[in-house]
Amino acid sequence: MCLVERALFLSGNEAIAQGAARAGVRFACGYPGTPSTEIVETIVGLEGVHAEWCVNEKVALETAVGASLAGVRSLVTMKHVGLNVAADPFMTLSLTGVNAGLVVVSADDPGMHSSQNEQDNRTFARFAKVPMLEPSDSQEAYDYVAEAFSLSEEFDTPVLLRSTTRLSHGRGRVLRRVPVPVPERSYERDLAKYVMVPQYARRRNRLVLERLQKLRRRAEESPLNVLEAGTVDFGIVAAGIAYQYAREAFPKAWFLKLGLSYPLPFEKVARLYQSVSRVAVVEELDPFLEDQIHALGLPVVGKDVIPADGELDQETVFRALEPFLARRPPRRRRPVPPRTPLISTPPELPAGLPVRPPVLCPGCTHRSVYAALRRRKLVPLGDIGCYTLGALPPLLALDSCLCMGASIGMMSGFNQVLGRKAAAAVIGDSTFFHSGVTPLIDAHYNQSDGLVLVLDNRTTAMTGHQGHPGTGVRADRSQGPAVEVQRLCEGIGVRCTTVDANDHKALDAAIKSEVETPGLGVVVALAPCVLMVRDHAGIVTVDEERCNLCGLCLDLGCPALAPGEVAVTLTDACTGCGLCVEVCRRGALAHEPAGGGGA
Amino acid sequence: MNGTTTVSLVGVGGQGILLGAAVLAEAAMAEGLDVKASEVKGMAQRGGSVLSTVRFGRHVYSPLARHADLVFATELLEGLRGLDLLAPRGTLVSATTRILPGSVLRGEEAYPEELAAAAAARGVRLILLDAEELAREAGNLRAVNVVLLGAASLVLPFSPDAWERGLAAAVPAKILEVNRRAFALGRDVGARQEVPR
Repeated sequence: MCLVERALFLSGNEAIAQGAARAGVRFACGYPGTPSTEIVETIVGLEGVHAEWCVNEKVALETAVGASLAGVRSLVTMKHVGLNVAADPFMTLSLTGVNAGLVVVSADDPGMHSSQNEQDNRTFARFAKVPMLEPSDSQEAYDYVAEAFSLSEEFDTPVLLRSTTRLSHGRGRVLRRVPVPVPERSYERDLAKYVMVPQYARRRNRLVLERLQKLRRRAEESPLNVLEAGTVDFGIVAAGIAYQYAREAFPKAWFLKLGLSYPLPFEKVARLYQSVSRVAVVEELDPFLEDQIHALGLPVVGKDVIPADGELDQETVFRALEPFLARRPPRRRRPVPPRTPLISTPPELPAGLPVRPPVLCPGCTHRSVYAALRRRKLVPLGDIGCYTLGALPPLLALDSCLCMGASIGMMSGFNQVLGRKAAAAVIGDSTFFHSGVTPLIDAHYNQSDGLVLVLDNRTTAMTGHQGHPGTGVRADRSQGPAVEVQRLCEGIGVRCTTVDANDHKALDAAIKSEVETPGLGVVVALAPCVLMVRDHAGIVTVDEERCNLCGLCLDLGCPALAPGEVAVTLTDACTGCGLCVEVCRRGALAHEPAGGGGA
Repeated sequence: MNGTTTVSLVGVGGQGILLGAAVLAEAAMAEGLDVKASEVKGMAQRGGSVLSTVRFGRHVYSPLARHADLVFATELLEGLRGLDLLAPRGTLVSATTRILPGSVLRGEEAYPEELAAAAAARGVRLILLDAEELAREAGNLRAVNVVLLGAASLVLPFSPDAWERGLAAAVPAKILEVNRRAFALGRDVGARQEVPR
């Protein structure tokens, strides 16, 4: 034991990196952006952590989500505007929660030293209903990372760790502490938690609202939120670097120092008002805390005297608030406690009536991809489109659906952690062009293992068959140039095979071959959406003698197949795709291709 | 509420609920009424349960309502589900068409058959018709929605002229004639198909 370890002199970013290693982080990634860059740069050199630069912040977050799912604590870093790029996964990650802890570091840049705007990312914590920690010096930056991971796992939520330029690029003494014990986690399939289709997302959303109330109680109890006694009739609420400015400007004041600054601990605020009659909020940028305190019906000084733009410093804070101390204190008011928001009760389904969820159409070629993928024992990480319906019973063919284009980044992180082709990504053609190309570039660049299945049905099917760059069909239905998925992948340098999705055997063979080949590969399952194809692919017939109603074909979830009295029956919805013929082990189903004329 | 009539159209994705709602809305506008409508698209389609709501009156505020004066169902199970959407003394116009949901297809659940009894138990006026057969007679199996509109027209306060203008405005010219026949058949047969309470 090293009890008198020398203090290190670390920047906030270095401290976050060291704190992450101490918190048992095994996976870290991000996209460089001032003032966040040095976190990943520092982590790269630390033992036991795999660190990556990603192609952008959205892909970085999705990759970290994959790593968290695979069971390791994961850290993602970006500058404030980077969270705009990552907002899509961030907002829905709040609903799914995490497996192992996941912390997003947003380094804001008040004063725009090196940025195009100075947006206040504290709003993102409120927007996504996730907890936020705001360290005020390097030691806290180091310490809070472990706290953030512990909150993430306890409350099943991503946590926002917010820094600003002066914290990230300021330096201070840091005493290292003993590593925290991290519980072992492995991936557990949980479709209702990770597949955010409406019926599951509505339930998760109610859990998020409940979680926020529990987090508020935690913020009330947390030692990170401290009421510091003063000797004058003046109290200041502050978090992050602004606390340091205010503390230096008013050493005799009372302070409510917020480390876990969202959700705001209302009772602690009220307690400050019991001790003093004059209260100010010192915060950079938006009146984030001030507005919430105003909402309690309490008189507070803030953005009326402190600039709402740029950086603060102790002199600015002192000059702004000093006249306030000379004034007569405002009349004391009792705080109006905020009401707990009501959470809707889910509508009761009419009793005893079978529900009718949307399903993959009869003859839909996505079904044959799922049938082939099922044989390969990979964790199928999904995306957004018609094929997301494959996650519902009876197929249960996808383990996740986070946001557009998330599947490939998640697969990359998942496989990086497990060091093998454990997960596959399933993504539609339109979604691939929307945001699947950048994570493919990323997975290639970071040399992730994996299998990407592009379900290319030549349209944006779910929303009503709109065109996309892969088809070249434009909004006015005119034909523009089309981008080929195969050539695009090869241009990146990724192995790619295109197969006819109606050719079940070829599809199965292509997937099998890809699974057995090390490295990253793409299989494009190509066939136009069955709704755009009027002609039947053939005729399927049932041999009632041979069918024993084993249910293998029924497990495909095809609406054209039903169990009859002695054998399965086919309804006239059948398109003759023949997939059921492929899965039948008794030869009870026969397929005659259209125009084939064969026996 | 406030003199506004609410019609909810329920069925299975792909049955032409949206077109039915469009004809109804156009007919209401032809009567000089204010109309608002609300539909759910996207994930709700693809063979799942769908619901569209059309509201009309002198002035309509909300485009949706918890309860409807008339529920119009292109499928029997959806009609049964639609009973919960009906206001007291409401009317249900339902097709006898059965489209089996996945759980029934897989034999996990039985297809419920008790629509007439359930409607009677709630004091609901029920018009039940074999809309598929009538659509076939009219010349297009997909005209089930308009057959039902014909039957529903019996309980809605629109003139024949308003319905004609509604059809002409909402139905593509190519299939307008078939749909005119489907509407007329639905209106004729619907008048004789009221299930006694």
